[in-house]
Amino acid sequence: MTAIAFDNVYRAYQPGEYVLQGVSFRVTEGEVVGLLGKNGAGKTTLLRLALGLLEPQKGSVRVFGQNPRRDAATVKQRIGYVAEDQDLPPFLTVNQVIELHRCLYPAWDDRLVQSLGARFRLPASARVGQLSKGQARQVALLCAVAHRPDLLLLDEPAGGLDPAARREFLEASIELLNENGTTIIFSSHHLTDVERMARRVVMIQSGYLYLDTEADELQEGYSLAVIPAGVVVDPDRLLELHDCLGVRPRRGSVHAIFRCPPANCQSLLVRKLGITNARCVSLALEEMFVELVGSIEPLDQSITSARVQGSPGESSNWKREPAGGWS
Amino acid sequence: MLIVIDPHSGVPVYRQLMDQIKFHIASGLLKPGDELPSTRTLSADLGINPMTISKAYSYLERDDVIDRRPGLPLVVKAVPDEQFKDRKLDQLKESLAPTVRIVRQLDIDDEEVIAILRAMLCEGEDEA
Repeated sequence: MTAIAFDNVYRAYQPGEYVLQGVSFRVTEGEVVGLLGKNGAGKTTLLRLALGLLEPQKGSVRVFGQNPRRDAATVKQRIGYVAEDQDLPPFLTVNQVIELHRCLYPAWDDRLVQSLGARFRLPASARVGQLSKGQARQVALLCAVAHRPDLLLLDEPAGGLDPAARREFLEASIELLNENGTTIIFSSHHLTDVERMARRVVMIQSGYLYLDTEADELQEGYSLAVIPAGVVVDPDRLLELHDCLGVRPRRGSVHAIFRCPPANCQSLLVRKLGITNARCVSLALEEMFVELVGSIEPLDQSITSARVQGSPGESSNWKREPAGGWS
Repeated sequence: MLIVIDPHSGVPVYRQLMDQIKFHIASGLLKPGDELPSTRTLSADLGINPMTISKAYSYLERDDVIDRRPGLPLVVKAVPDEQFKDRKLDQLKESLAPTVRIVRQLDIDDEEVIAILRAMLCEGEDEA
C-alpha cells in the first residue's frame, strides 16, 4: 500500500518563485526514506504538504490515499511529526505537554509514554523552557509517536543533538519501526544517520527530484573518479560519457561522478579517454552528497549545456534541470 | 556478536554485516550451530534499519553460510572441513586484494613483497 504519493507537486511561497517544481514520488508502507537536499531545497515544504499544513498550487498530495487538506483529521490521526524548530510552550511542564497531546489522539498509548519517558530520563515536572535542547527534542518525539502513527515525518530530528542523544533518538525510532512497521520519512544532514536508517534515499535539488534510489545501490553502483592535476581533460568529454553524472573541477584535479562501480569506471576512462591514472572509488553517502551538490552548479556554461542535453542512456532517476534553470 | 558498522567506509551496511559475519565464521568465533541474533535485536543493538539486517541474512543464506529454520533463530551452517579451509583462504585473498593494488601502484618487486610478508609473519610469531 502507498503511504504517501506526491504527484507533480508545485509550491511557491512568492508568486512565480517555486520551491518545488513538479516533484513526484511515492513511498510504500513500511519504507524508511531519507530526504536529502541542501538548505532551502524544499524538504520541509514537502513534509508540510504531507501534513496538510500547506496546499500544493499544482499537483496532488495523498496520504494513505486521502487528501491531507480535506480529510485533515483522519490523516493527522495516522501521522506523527517532529518539526525542525519544534516550539513547545516553554511555560508548560513535560507532563502538561504530554497531556495536551494525549487529548488529541484516541489511540494514545500510555505505556509507550511511560517507557520512552523512563528511557529518555525526562523530568516530568520540569518546564519545557528549562530543558536542554536534546530533552526538548525527546519530548517532541515522544509526543509524535505515542499514538503509534502509521507514518512518522521527522524534519531534521537530530538537529543540535549530541552524538549520544542522536543515537538514542535513532534507536527509539528503529524500535517503533520494529514493533509497528511504521513508515518513516526523515530529512537529515547527518548522513551517517541516513545510512543507518534509510533503505531509500530521495534527494531534492532546486525544487526538483534529483535522485531517488536504494541506499545500497548508491554505494555499490556509483563511483567518484579523481583525475589528477596535469591530465588535460575537457569536462565536456567526460560528460559525454553515458554514465557520467557530473563534473566538478577542484584545484587542478577534476572530480567526476559516475553511475557505475569503481572498476567499470576505471576501465571506461582508460578505454574512452585514455586516462590511466584516475583514482576511482566508491563513496560514503556524505561524500556523495557533497560531490553531487557541488557538481550540480557547474562553474562554466559549457558544462551546463552538456548536462542539460544529457545522453540517451542516462538513468531515469536523474533529473536534470531544463536549459536556463541555473542561476 | 562483535559487529561494527562504519558509515564512512563507502561499503553498504548490509555488505559490512555479511563480511563481518563471514569473517567471524572463518575465524572460528562463530561455530556451526551457533545462533545468530534476531533481526530485531541486531537492528536495535547496531542502530540500523531491520530491513538491512534481513537483506544481509538472506544473502548469507543464499551463500550457504547460514541456515534458516521456520520459527527458530538462524544458525551458522556446518560445512565439510576442506570447504571450511577454502573459505578461510577466500577471506585472506579478499583482504589481500587491496595490498596487491598498492604493490602495483608502488611498483614493488614481487619477491620483495613476499620477503616483507615472510618477515612480518615471523615478527608476529615472536610476539606470540
